[in-house]
Amino acid sequence: MRFRSSLQVPPVSYAATLPDASTATGRIPGNKAMWVGIFCEVTEFALMFAVYFIARAHHPEVFRAGPERLSLLAGTGYTLMLLTSGWCVARALHAMRAGRQKACLRWLLGAFVFGLGYPVIKLFEVRWNLANGLDGDAGVFIVTYYYLTFNHLIHVFWGLLGMIWVMLRTGTGSYSADEHSGLEAFACYWHATDIIWLMIFPLFYVLR
Amino acid sequence: MTEIRKLDLAWLGLVALSVIGATLGGRPDTGFGVTVLVALVMGLKVRIVCDRFLELPTARRGIRLAMHGFCYGMPVLVILTSAFGDTLARLTGALI
Repeated sequence: MRFRSSLQVPPVSYAATLPDASTATGRIPGNKAMWVGIFCEVTEFALMFAVYFIARAHHPEVFRAGPERLSLLAGTGYTLMLLTSGWCVARALHAMRAGRQKACLRWLLGAFVFGLGYPVIKLFEVRWNLANGLDGDAGVFIVTYYYLTFNHLIHVFWGLLGMIWVMLRTGTGSYSADEHSGLEAFACYWHATDIIWLMIFPLFYVLR
Repeated sequence: MTEIRKLDLAWLGLVALSVIGATLGGRPDTGFGVTVLVALVMGLKVRIVCDRFLELPTARRGIRLAMHGFCYGMPVLVILTSAFGDTLARLTGALI
């Protein structure tokens, strides 16, 4: 019995497999300041989503017909670009934790290229929209859509600037396997921006 | 399975769910069931990003609760607005 119990491996939770998950109370991924920023971002978008739901409740037919007016291809393109960029950032963080700085920089470069795909698609989509008469006078659905998506675009721009910064820091050897909280804080912001897009996409491009 | 492999699978799953979501958007029918399905796909994608990319399972309880409240509140609101849109319009009539 004693022999058997000595062979038993204690159960390891998913949380425990990640770094710094040593306490039951959990940790602050990245740093506190970034989470203040993320919660400000979340609050801002929560208010804008409230406006969306109220407008939708008052104009259900307009919102039901709305997605047909937008390019589903562009919407799917944004989603795939941001998801792939987020995946590259997560891989970069894992590479840094493993002490592989060069691999981390390569993953960050990949994240930047895919992240840049978002404003590039936006440029083409806006031109397509305007050519199809979808401007600021095109009704409540389009106005809500521009308001939310342009606001999200600003957050993506901040993220891309942040990504340039963490790439420079990684390239100059400022992060190490032991200390890379700046990189982790950026990753949190980028994933939070990703999460908000994952909500915007179905609201405007899918839901009828 | 290594953490890296789980991360790669999470990304593949997210891509697949995005394609499913886009397919739902291309459908001409607009039943309540489709709305529920769209909300579920949204919730699932957000959950995967929270757990695998953002690593929320390791985060402090307050961060976890706030993010989960936001992430799961949205799909619920999508369903509620679809089911009780008239009530919401009546309650917010003074705002518009």
